[in-house]
Amino acid sequence: MMDPKIQYRLRKAARQMLLYLVVLTITLVIMTPVYFITVLSFLTTREAYEYPLPLYPTFTIRMKMERGKRGYLLSVWDRNEQAYVSVLDTDDADKMRVYMETYLGLKPSNEQVTEVMQKVDATGGQPVYFAWRRHILSNYATFFRVTRDAVPALIRSLQIAALTIAISLSIGGAAGYAFARYRFYGKNALKFSVLFVRMFPGVAIAIPMVIILARIGLYDRPAGLSLLYSVGVIGMTVWITASIFMAIPVSLEEAAMVFGATRLQAFLRITLPLAFPGLAAAAMYAFIGAWNETVAAIILTEFNPTFSVVVYQTLLGATGQVNLTAAGGMAMALPAVVFTFFIRRYIHQMWGGVTV
Amino acid sequence: MAEVQLINLTKRFGRRVLAVDHIHLTVKDREFLVLLGPSGCGKTTTLRMIAGLEEVSEGTILIDGEDVTYLPPRARNVSMVFQNYAVWPHMTVYENIAYPLRLKKVPRDEIDRRVKEVAELTKIAELLDRYPSQLSGGQQQRVALARAIAVKPKVFLMDEPLSNLDAKLRVHMRTELKAIHHQTQATTIFVTHDQSEAMSMADRIVVMREGRIEQVGTPEEVYEKSANMFVASFIGLPPTNFFYTEVRRENDALKLVHPYFTLTLSPEQAARLKDYTKSRLVLGVRPENLLLTTEDQALFSVEAMVVEPQGSHQIIAFQMDDQIVKIVAPAYPKVWPGERIHVTFRPERIRFFDPETQQAVGDEA
Ligand SMILES: Nc1ncnc2c1ncn2[C@@H]1O[C@H](COP(=O)(O)OP(=O)(O)OP(=O)(O)O)[C@@H](O)[C@H]1O
Ligand SMILES: [Mg+2]
Repeated sequence: MMDPKIQYRLRKAARQMLLYLVVLTITLVIMTPVYFITVLSFLTTREAYEYPLPLYPTFTIRMKMERGKRGYLLSVWDRNEQAYVSVLDTDDADKMRVYMETYLGLKPSNEQVTEVMQKVDATGGQPVYFAWRRHILSNYATFFRVTRDAVPALIRSLQIAALTIAISLSIGGAAGYAFARYRFYGKNALKFSVLFVRMFPGVAIAIPMVIILARIGLYDRPAGLSLLYSVGVIGMTVWITASIFMAIPVSLEEAAMVFGATRLQAFLRITLPLAFPGLAAAAMYAFIGAWNETVAAIILTEFNPTFSVVVYQTLLGATGQVNLTAAGGMAMALPAVVFTFFIRRYIHQMWGGVTV
Repeated sequence: MAEVQLINLTKRFGRRVLAVDHIHLTVKDREFLVLLGPSGCGKTTTLRMIAGLEEVSEGTILIDGEDVTYLPPRARNVSMVFQNYAVWPHMTVYENIAYPLRLKKVPRDEIDRRVKEVAELTKIAELLDRYPSQLSGGQQQRVALARAIAVKPKVFLMDEPLSNLDAKLRVHMRTELKAIHHQTQATTIFVTHDQSEAMSMADRIVVMREGRIEQVGTPEEVYEKSANMFVASFIGLPPTNFFYTEVRRENDALKLVHPYFTLTLSPEQAARLKDYTKSRLVLGVRPENLLLTTEDQALFSVEAMVVEPQGSHQIIAFQMDDQIVKIVAPAYPKVWPGERIHVTFRPERIRFFDPETQQAVGDEA
């Protein structure tokens, strides 16, 4: 028989191990797409279409140039093959420069390319090996260069997100407060119906919305989109805020009123600050809902696309490059991440880490 | 400072619940009045109506003669200690006390002075920078109290403010509350369902049941001159023992016949009951007025069933048919379960009740 104490410890260790394993698996599952989009956004176009996809990007491109059949033969080091792979045979320096720019993320001048060609000539056709560094953010720079309207679209998306937060939080928050504090006829039916709109696919709502928004002159305008997003988000906002307000004891407000506050003062000075963490969560939800939405935005915009539409468009047509899309996607995630961290920090700082 | 009058005050919740049922009550200036009653009898509702937190269904509330029935809470100049403290968690102790003063537009340096003063009074001076979550229950309690005192209200309302404290702190806070009342002299209405709290603190006690007032009186009055059987059994631990008897009238003498004993009343008692004509009468005897005695002096003898030693005294329970009767006796001589005990009444402390109306009868006018 084993010592029961050791047995107990072993069992405990096994349990712990299992827990870590589960947590690790979940983390992996969640993080894998994030990891790949991050890596993808830094890969060169050539690397992006390699299989299997490289696990990390390279910023130094090793190349070889030698005499070719038509002129100069350019080869690039391939990590999978562990060899130089020929990619282009031309005597046109400009053509070679464009290739380097498009597929290798390099930005050489024609003179630099010509210089290498001259070296090949000087060695009498012997291969010339050289390695050039490319800029870390070359994909990002390219993304913003090729999609001319990315910056205005970004600003538009920010406006839409802010407006969505404002609309959904003021209307949804007021409704949530009413649900939490007052008893009225048909409350439950109403509470259910605010979630009802979420049960339709976004496209199904977007198409009739085009007609409505066009009628009221909001088609292809940020206000129109935020109106649509608010409709979708408000249901959740009502539920989130209602549960927050329910968690704040009425007696806190009543105490304020007994001690001289009006109903409004009691709300503004007592309930609102206490609800802030929850309201921030609701705001975050609204922000993400508005920020990431693409389908309805494609339908409801024409000349004034949102940022997500611009990112989507980089996938289309002959210029479609997944690494640029990834860079755009990363650029898009950044504000959401910053916003989230900012709010989290703020929530944690309040009242010495106190939650209600 | 202030007198509170409740005239015909009534509160209905929906059509069915009559939480407060046409009560009349005058709380005197500077009085410490305790509302006492079992759970759900309408104490909180009454208090909330006085505070203006609950709409009045019927009746009038006067504070210092002024009708405040339909004034908002802030216009009534009352302050309240809530059952769950209701200190604001996002404000420090200092801000908790200062905020009501700021609402009342008290000048800044006056606020500071008053906060320090009440913090001293409630012994929380060294906690002023803390948030409520960093305080113990008893400390939060005192913050709620300090906040209520600082506004110098006309009327103090306290809803079971000691109910969440441990037994020792509760007894300690009773004393502090009385001291604070003595110092501030504010008219106070204090709600509790703990009768020992009521007995120890009240100038007068209001005993409530099902939305109605059963008796108003000093602690001695409600204890010794309970107006009806409900009060007699609700006040006192263990409660009053009731003996249902037949009345026998022989000449001028009055005899009460119980299956276990026959009690002959003294001439004075008989005289007080001379207007009572019904044939049945309930005897109410408090446990400490049942005396252990010798066999020849005993009114009746029974077998002790359970004995609970309490240190300073012992509680002896015995059975009479299907009724349990309790005696509070001195700790010595010790009584053992199963022992035969001889019992008599302290004759001058017996109370009489009409079994039909449940009201006390035979009190001197
Ligand atoms: N908002 C309400 N809606 C319906 N009924 C209510 C409401 N508030 C109180 N009541 C009812 O009114 C009656 C009196 O309630 P109240 O809270 O005044 O009792 P209480 O004496 O304070 O009891 P406790 O000692 O348990 O606090 C109870 O029967 C209660 O169920
Ligand atoms: Mg109550």
